[in-house]
Amino acid sequence: MIVCVLIPRFALLAALGDRRALLAEPVALAPEAGREQMVGEVSAPAEAFGIVPGMRVGEALSRCPELRLEPPDPEGARGLWHEVLDRIESIGAAPESESAGAAFFAADGLEGLHGGDLGGVLAATRRSLGRGSRLGAARSRFAALCAARQARPRRAPVVVEDGDTARFLAPLPAGMLRARPELAELPDVLDRLGVRTLGDLAALPSRAVAERFGHPGLLALDLARGRDTPLAPRRPPEPVSERIDLPDAASGPQLERALELLIARALARRERRGRTLRSVAVAARFVAGGTWRCAVTLRHASADPGRILLALGPKLAELPAPAESLALEVEAFGPPATDQGRLLDDGGAERRARLGEAVRQARQAAGPEAALRVLDVDPDSRVPERRAVLAPWER
Amino acid sequence: MGALSPVAGTRRLGAPRPVEVRAAGGVPARVAGVPVEAVREDWVVEDRWWTGRPVRRRYFELVLGDGRDVTVFCVLGQGRWFSQRA
Repeated sequence: MIVCVLIPRFALLAALGDRRALLAEPVALAPEAGREQMVGEVSAPAEAFGIVPGMRVGEALSRCPELRLEPPDPEGARGLWHEVLDRIESIGAAPESESAGAAFFAADGLEGLHGGDLGGVLAATRRSLGRGSRLGAARSRFAALCAARQARPRRAPVVVEDGDTARFLAPLPAGMLRARPELAELPDVLDRLGVRTLGDLAALPSRAVAERFGHPGLLALDLARGRDTPLAPRRPPEPVSERIDLPDAASGPQLERALELLIARALARRERRGRTLRSVAVAARFVAGGTWRCAVTLRHASADPGRILLALGPKLAELPAPAESLALEVEAFGPPATDQGRLLDDGGAERRARLGEAVRQARQAAGPEAALRVLDVDPDSRVPERRAVLAPWER
Repeated sequence: MGALSPVAGTRRLGAPRPVEVRAAGGVPARVAGVPVEAVREDWVVEDRWWTGRPVRRRYFELVLGDGRDVTVFCVLGQGRWFSQRA
């Protein structure tokens, strides 16, 4: 059985922090700076005014002039969600989660640890997460999500027994398919064709669905019939992140210098153990509150600071507001960086490799600050101490 | 005071160091007990005036009696002296 843990309005809760009492008022997440002007998650009183996530800000405010717009905190939400996943892992589960607020795990291997049945696993999950979460269980991931959406906080989890999956899903609206981002557009088309429920969809012949909708149609058909793709549990994170405070008027070149410094520091971390970086994220905390985050997967995993800077640098131009701090987080490491033979003799590369090895050995013996380089941060500044810093040396 | 806060893994270059200066009429006469031979140049730096921590300094490039060339500055409004590699 697959268990779904659902914490509705998670991003909104994260943005509100300890001001959760505001959930009793009409409040919505403001659009992320620089993105489309649409509201994010909304509180229940805001929903009562007909405001839904994805609605244009103007329309939302015209429906409820008292609507309070809260700046989103994607970085904070991510950190908080990782804590929730850690708690799920603490009961022995291997959770999968693509977005903050919903996680799935297979309960089959855990029953022996928690009383021998699914009820024990659900009770352990509830104990580890507290009462605010909604729990559902079913044979497929999609059905478990639908079950969790029907569950209520502080009430018993909704469990769809084996063999009942198709019957449970049949009366549900086809709009539930929007839970899968790749199927977000499909329910509207189905609705125009008179396919209103998942049962209507499940009754259609596979060949006709494949011909009309292609791969997304077949995926939707599988979901409606109670089948789903296998879970892909998250890999244990190896948190390597670096943060730097910025001056009040940090602009293009200064931001780039700060990013260069962050890359050098991330590459100098012991946790890297000679590996390349596969996926990294740049994050910023704004002067006016709120955060911004942009993840980049490198085409080729690399430990070359110049190449990483080349991939991340353009993202700085997307920063929509003045930032008070900039951070770099390694999301995934690649294979170890290795020396590749060259077709042509390159004495410079050999010298650099020897220098790199010497630095590595010096660091091993005398700590990470054994080899530093001068990095120009703001070379034209009139205040001398702002012009340069010593940063970890990287080839 | 600087563009980047001091953080683990980085160290600011050219950070000011407190120094004992005896001044006459706002111009240094002795630095750390060594008499000043000549004032080569002096200039004022005003920066970050739009923040809560403005920078207001009067710099002097000096030649000392022992032959050294040093740069010191006085924080305007506070009267504290620092030497700095400018």
